[in-house]
Amino acid sequence: MYTYLCIHIYVYCIMHWGSLFPDCVFSQNIRKMDGTSGPPRFRIMMNDGRHTMSYFMLSTQLNSLAEQNLLEPNCVCMLKKSVTNVLKDGRRVIIILEIEVITPAKDVPGKLGEPTPFVEGDAFQVHALTSCLRQCHTKIVPGAKILPPTEFGKKTPSALPSTPGGSSKVVPIASLNPYQSKWTIRARVTNRSNIRTWSNSRGEGKLFSMEIVDESGEIRITGFNQEVDKFYNLIEVGKVYYMSKGTLKIANKQYSSTKNDYEMTLNGESSIIPCDDASDLPVALCSFVAISDLASHEKDAVLDVIGVCKSVDELTRLTTKASREVSKRTFNLMDQSGCTVSVTLWGEEAENFDGSAQPIVAIKGAKLSDFGGRSLSASFSSTVMINPDLPEAFKLRGWYDKEGHAVEGQSLTEARGSGGGTTNWKTLSDVKTEHLGHGDKADYFNSIATIVYLRKENCLYQACPSPDCNKKVVDQQNGMYRCEKCDKEFPNFKYRLILSANIADYGDNQWVTCFQESAEAILGQNAAYLGQLKDSNEAAFEEIFQQANFHTFVFRSRVKLETYNDESRIKATVMDVKPVDHKEYSKRLIMNIRKMAV
Amino acid sequence: MSAIYEAPRARINTSMLSQYVSRPVCFVGRVEKVHPSGKSFTMCDGEGKVVSVELNEPLDEELSGVVEVVGMVTNKGALMGSAYTIFQEEKGVAFDLELYNEALKVIHDFSQYYPFKVETSG
Repeated sequence: MYTYLCIHIYVYCIMHWGSLFPDCVFSQNIRKMDGTSGPPRFRIMMNDGRHTMSYFMLSTQLNSLAEQNLLEPNCVCMLKKSVTNVLKDGRRVIIILEIEVITPAKDVPGKLGEPTPFVEGDAFQVHALTSCLRQCHTKIVPGAKILPPTEFGKKTPSALPSTPGGSSKVVPIASLNPYQSKWTIRARVTNRSNIRTWSNSRGEGKLFSMEIVDESGEIRITGFNQEVDKFYNLIEVGKVYYMSKGTLKIANKQYSSTKNDYEMTLNGESSIIPCDDASDLPVALCSFVAISDLASHEKDAVLDVIGVCKSVDELTRLTTKASREVSKRTFNLMDQSGCTVSVTLWGEEAENFDGSAQPIVAIKGAKLSDFGGRSLSASFSSTVMINPDLPEAFKLRGWYDKEGHAVEGQSLTEARGSGGGTTNWKTLSDVKTEHLGHGDKADYFNSIATIVYLRKENCLYQACPSPDCNKKVVDQQNGMYRCEKCDKEFPNFKYRLILSANIADYGDNQWVTCFQESAEAILGQNAAYLGQLKDSNEAAFEEIFQQANFHTFVFRSRVKLETYNDESRIKATVMDVKPVDHKEYSKRLIMNIRKMAV
Repeated sequence: MSAIYEAPRARINTSMLSQYVSRPVCFVGRVEKVHPSGKSFTMCDGEGKVVSVELNEPLDEELSGVVEVVGMVTNKGALMGSAYTIFQEEKGVAFDLELYNEALKVIHDFSQYYPFKVETSG
């Protein structure tokens, strides 16, 4: 989509200085051009009262102005920032980066003046618009600055930093588009991916991507194969570079959270040159979301957060479905909303993260998950910044050191056991008072409890020896054992455990049933050995049960109301037995105490 | 030396020292520097704050890692150590001083539920 605006004044300025002075123009015609993929483009014809010029294009981030009819035909506007691109055929296209509507169209009495299309080289007449406007209405352009003619004739040195090589002007990222290629940008790298490789039917290759930012916007850049070799090692996150000659295309929003409608691919002609003077460029463009507001965002939303690293967990390693081993670390992030959220880092980021000094951590492009309430994950396209040089970071640091450190923080993420999944911690009296297991579905809970009694009678049974079948066998009294399930007779059997245990915590006790693995964990011996001992050494067998008493474990149990012979009772089965992680347990207790005290 | 064990000893950290002058306390910290004479050493608590410990007898072993000291708080806010116990770190998990400090704060913030100040009259 294209829109036309007019203006002789601007063309003149642009030709000579490379940038526009704020001034008034009069939009005559706005056209929306559909038909290409990606966002619509607006082309504007501008009229300065004397001339019209049709090659003004609205940068896509300003599309809303046209879509909401703020910028409409016949309104008077002030062009504050723009860049000029020269097309191959010599025409100039002016990309509008910042524009202000001074007088809405309804207040403008029709077309201004008798403009004719601007032809380059035309004599410049600056009073055109002024006089036209004066004719229409003196109040139309309050405070608008019309530059005196003398200024236009002079060549002013550019305020922009010069480009190495001096080939093309430094332009803002926001002005980049696929239609012109002669530009240089000066931008800070905010994120660089690792090199990734692919291999498919069409061959194999490698790529990396990075994100860059300047004061106008950000863009994602991808380099393939040769460009990986050429540029990957040159790029350092946080450094500033001059870049030119990249290929622009419509951004694939599926892979990128970068706020730009285009993305860039490096090609054989691309150049990237380090720039030393970089202090004026922003570190990153972030729009931070308060942690307390995370609950109102959709799952999988990609957003920016900043907070204090309140506490950090140990590094853990896990194996992905593709049997690749990755490192993972989670930490709690708190901001001034007094809320905390659990953030997961992966790979190198997890390995190198040091949260012990409670740094300010900003994450750009974190992914919101509904895992365990609300949590965040920093994926490969996220940027994690420790103590970033941002005003928000200084504000947070001040707040945290003064008062924030005393705030316990309300967590959006439920406490999770090391086994993953949400953990439903209950005391044994909670299980009874909350009637766990009385619903249609079984309830699962975790508790820390101590073994107070183990019933050694009938704790072992003779099971089918075939793997994966644990069915009890029938002793045929002839040296053979029959499994009904396998419909086979065997000369042997294996012992399996089904152990009844009474477990207790400070408030109550509970009979639970433990099967093989959990029973072995409690008794500290395997079933086969126990079976052997039971048959050969009653005293030693007894001793094992005595020894196992009064040990404390984390029990993960399933409870369900079951009915036998018209009698209903709660049946509790232990799914998993683990040793107590005293550190984690203490942390939970302290957290609960603090929560209760609020 | 044994008298110190007969009274209740509050568990404290460095910033609580001033409230316990001339009273028996129990202090857990990480040994920082041992004086060449072996008659005093410094240790830091879970907040990284340092306390100095004075001993009547020079140490007869090397001291490092996390140590629990039982002793009396002097007017100068130092500890007159009567006895100490080294927390062996090679046994299982390392002692988490920061976490211990959090627990200490709980004990002091909710002292009504942690009645360690029982008078020794009985």
